[in-house]
Amino acid sequence: MLELQGLSKRYGTEVALDDVSLVVRDDEYLTLLGPSGSGKSTLLRVIAGLETPDAGRVLLDGRDIGALPTHRRGLGIVQQNYALFPHMTVFDNVAFGLRFRETAPVADPSEVDRRTRATLDLVGLTGFETRMPGQLSGGQKQRVSLARTLVTEPRICLLDEPLGALDANLRERMTVELRRIREALGVTFLHVTGNEAEALAMGDRMIVLDRGRALAVAPPEEIFAAPADTRVARFLNAWNLIPGRAGADGFEVAGEAPLALPAPAPQAQTYGVPYDAAWISRDPAPAPGEGVLPARYVASEFLGSKVVYLLRRADGKVFEVERHLSREDPETYAQDETLAVRWRLADVHLFDGAGRRIPLAPAGAPA
Amino acid sequence: MTSSETLTRPAPAAADPRAEGWFARNRSLVLASPGVAWMVLFLLVPLGMMIYVSFWTQTTFAINSTLTTKSWVAFFSSDTYVGALLRTLRLWLTVLALTFVIGYPTALFIGRFVRSKSIQTILLVACVIPFWTSFLIRVLAWRPMLGREGAVNIVLENLGIISQPIETLLFTETSVIIGMVQIYVVFMVGPVAFMLARIDDSLIEAARDLGASAWTIFSRIIFPLSLPGVVVGAIFVSVMVLGEFATASALSGRKVNLLGNIIVSQVGSLKWAFAAVIGVVLTVCIGVVVAALLRLVNLRKEL
Repeated sequence: MLELQGLSKRYGTEVALDDVSLVVRDDEYLTLLGPSGSGKSTLLRVIAGLETPDAGRVLLDGRDIGALPTHRRGLGIVQQNYALFPHMTVFDNVAFGLRFRETAPVADPSEVDRRTRATLDLVGLTGFETRMPGQLSGGQKQRVSLARTLVTEPRICLLDEPLGALDANLRERMTVELRRIREALGVTFLHVTGNEAEALAMGDRMIVLDRGRALAVAPPEEIFAAPADTRVARFLNAWNLIPGRAGADGFEVAGEAPLALPAPAPQAQTYGVPYDAAWISRDPAPAPGEGVLPARYVASEFLGSKVVYLLRRADGKVFEVERHLSREDPETYAQDETLAVRWRLADVHLFDGAGRRIPLAPAGAPA
Repeated sequence: MTSSETLTRPAPAAADPRAEGWFARNRSLVLASPGVAWMVLFLLVPLGMMIYVSFWTQTTFAINSTLTTKSWVAFFSSDTYVGALLRTLRLWLTVLALTFVIGYPTALFIGRFVRSKSIQTILLVACVIPFWTSFLIRVLAWRPMLGREGAVNIVLENLGIISQPIETLLFTETSVIIGMVQIYVVFMVGPVAFMLARIDDSLIEAARDLGASAWTIFSRIIFPLSLPGVVVGAIFVSVMVLGEFATASALSGRKVNLLGNIIVSQVGSLKWAFAAVIGVVLTVCIGVVVAALLRLVNLRKEL
């Protein structure tokens, strides 16, 4: 178990980490989502010992490892650019850690051979032993880099945007592969990414980091269904966030009729509707248990299994509606046609002035 | 030009594989010909001439084109000339080893320990500053340094390290070696520093993370990756040292005779055939050294 306590790090006046505390459990896949500049790479480098924090402690199984150099921490890092040794074969790259580590190198060549081959087999690169890194594709380099780290049996494997340099097709395959490899070894993966889909798909739990602060730590489903913060909701790229304030008749938005509130929440300043919880109708009449918002149709985007409709609210902001084609056929609307966007109040979340989600009474409150 | 003319104009020959022009079909040959002609005229023909002349008959004041192996026999049966060949090779190896021993750590410092690119450039330029003076002055400047009453002896005496001036500093093989190392070490520093600076820091971080010690990282990662630079530097130094004669004559008082010195003196006394023999021997030596160095790494892959 890896424990981070109150980690802080600043570069000049730039705050990279601001009092980050976190527990990384054994045998879990933890994803760390943050936009660029959120401090996610710094956090990884502090854990790995490549950077020294200004304050805070890093504990592995209750032991402070803050003073230990990188290679004594029992952690492995898979770098974003793979960092393969270009003058060595795939086999020698993977065997490097076993042969040449300072503490307890594996002297027996047959043992090195056995473990290297087993790890190459695990990442699906049997038969590539004598290739040079220059002869590999991006995905294969990624696997070699992973194998090179995993063969040393680290307690925790730190992956810095491991899929960042791969094309979309390969990215999806590696997503499945990484989970399979992790489960086969039972080693903890801490996977840093700027891609919300990756963070949601891969993590047993995910952390959302912004401006050096951990905004949320929870399983992806929970974070997706009920983001703790408007910033989290924004990173997930799945929520319509409408600013306004709670009034006597509901949630008052500039230039619109008030929106129905799922529950009384006088401190609400942001009204959140998930993209895929809304639907488009030509009927603007209010209905119990539903929210309605007039909007003009702008465009739609066909994405294979789903269609994303873009609409414009009265104040000019875009409202996205995502409809899955397994449930209905795509609709066509005229440009600038005035429509009504509707959603069930049970799917709505409200956020206060500081951006925090307001806990609501169970859904189904009378509208 | 109207647009219809543009449309009906035939496609340029280069784009059309069926184009029948002789130039289009032999384009690579045509493009290569100036370079080939240059090399044939100014490299192959002179080389052939040199080999041919080395078999001419040399009398004291004349030379004629009757073929004979006399000059070759004279070269290899003379202790003086074979001695000069061995001395040249020994001096070359010593200078090469010293330029590596002095140049590599310097390059390591510039290429890996200096983090700023502009300071790296400044340091490399500083290495080249001595080349702003003429070759002869650079060599002759060593005389007041190394002489019996030269700067080195005075400093050592005043420090009490020696009581008698060291006589062997100037006009010996040592002074030739010192002079050559000083001049040629920069040709080792440059290519090595360039290769070292190209090594990605993430490789070092990865090796450290895998548990390798500083020495292992150097010997397994940094040194092998800088090897092409070492080979290029060694080729520069070798080619220049093997053909050297000026440093040797200026700093040895003509006591250390290298193959280059002998060529100069033989040409001076119009012994063309004999000078040609030494020229061929020297060319073969340089060819073998460069070929051996190139076998060490695949330079084509690095460029």
